[in-house]
Amino acid sequence: MNRIFALSWLTFKEGIRDRALMGICIIALVMLFATIVFTGVFGYDLGKVLVDLNLSTIAFAGLLLTFFVNINLMAKDIDKRTIYCVLSKPLSRTEYILGKYLGLILLVCIALFFLLVFSSGIIAIVKSMYSEIFFKNFSWYCFFQAYFYQMLMFFILNAVVIFFSSVSTSSFLVLLFTIATYITGQTIEEVMVFFKKEALGQNTSAVNHWVIDIAQYIFPNFSAFDIKTLASHGKFLPLEHTTALVGYSLIYTILLLFFASMIFNKREIT
Amino acid sequence: MKVNFSKVNKSFISSFTRKKVHAVIDLDLSIQTGEIFGIIGPNGAGKSTLLKMLLGFIRQGSGSISIEGKSPIEPETRINMGYLPENPYYYDHLSAEDLMKFSAKTAGMKKEDIQPSINHLLELMNLEHARKRHLRTYSKGMTQRAGICFALVHDPDLIIFDEPMSGLDPLGRKLVVDLVLDLKQKGKTIIFCSHILDDIERLCDRMAIMDKGRLKKTLNREQLLEGKNKFVTEDGEKGNNWLEQIFIDTVDSGVRE
Repeated sequence: MNRIFALSWLTFKEGIRDRALMGICIIALVMLFATIVFTGVFGYDLGKVLVDLNLSTIAFAGLLLTFFVNINLMAKDIDKRTIYCVLSKPLSRTEYILGKYLGLILLVCIALFFLLVFSSGIIAIVKSMYSEIFFKNFSWYCFFQAYFYQMLMFFILNAVVIFFSSVSTSSFLVLLFTIATYITGQTIEEVMVFFKKEALGQNTSAVNHWVIDIAQYIFPNFSAFDIKTLASHGKFLPLEHTTALVGYSLIYTILLLFFASMIFNKREIT
Repeated sequence: MKVNFSKVNKSFISSFTRKKVHAVIDLDLSIQTGEIFGIIGPNGAGKSTLLKMLLGFIRQGSGSISIEGKSPIEPETRINMGYLPENPYYYDHLSAEDLMKFSAKTAGMKKEDIQPSINHLLELMNLEHARKRHLRTYSKGMTQRAGICFALVHDPDLIIFDEPMSGLDPLGRKLVVDLVLDLKQKGKTIIFCSHILDDIERLCDRMAIMDKGRLKKTLNREQLLEGKNKFVTEDGEKGNNWLEQIFIDTVDSGVRE
């Protein structure tokens, strides 16, 4: 376990000192600051706009972080052969996968927690600037719940990064596959609903149904973690729903890491 | 630590042409505890493949490799091993100290032993002044020396150096030579790959010449000295470039085969 923590700490340290991370955080902070101005532009439901903009900014920063910092942290090991140094230590391949994953997750957690704190401050400032009437539906609980759901989504998305890094030696392909998985995961539910309703009265082929059925079991349903709209309307989801999503995220992550470890154990580091 | 290769073969399949490339062929080799063993050979001779198999990065196609009777695939085997890769590249934003701490922790060193060992090695490798600096600011020679610190911080018994002199200035090379001799005094087993024949000649107890995946020749120190004393160049100079001549003859005979 110590070896896993040592690698995750190394990965985290390398990531936290990356200038790209600083750039992402600065962009996110500017965007969060901008919400002070933008919220005022809307004449009604300011609470809704505020929550929506803040959560979207945090999600955007998390995606940039995952796609450009975390994928780079994984790919650099292979591209620049730093993996030789790491694996020359008494680390098993499974420990390598787990250590790297924990490092990436720690980085996402710390960066997004920092943005959450900042975002909460912005919300408190904006709330103090306008009358309470504009924030009828606003709920801190819903805001934090939506943030927590986003974090669960990032746990899976970073496991996807690890999975594709164990398969491919090219950082570009890892980026491409991860983005494709994210887009598929965000849209699969809508596509499923469309096919089930046979929308617009069109007949859909059995093959399409079959493909969508398989895809919904393979790809993670990321849209289930996106409750920004609900949170902005002050609607919170019951604890059972949260527990179910925690379970879903946990199982998906474990499965991805398991397969990543299996593939990586067979891989030759040339 | 005793290292043994028995009838080891390794081939790769080219990803484009699907052609089989034999990297190591029927390798039988035994390296004894406390020995400095040098491996030389032209590019593509199979030296790096041999080291990668020894570190468990790749698996042999057939035959067996053992380090003190254990398989290199087992992570525990590597607790007592230190490795310096050819042209090492480390994490840009970490310092030499960060890297060494990681190395020491993963090797299971006691907490109280880590800092003294780091201090000692950084001083020895003349990196004391740059211990907190990010590795991306290091020169090639400094990176090489940081790599040596990383490989040695946990005081391993088996040390694998792949081109340790690459990128070092004369002062750096002297530091490494002194270090290798000191490690030999301590009874460490060292496997040393280099293109610099002088270093091999100066430091190694035994050396092997590899070419096209095959082990062509092994020579011990006595054979080296004896050959050197007998060797006279066309210009009438005695001893000089003997190893170079042996190397060329061995590799050339391979070409003619």
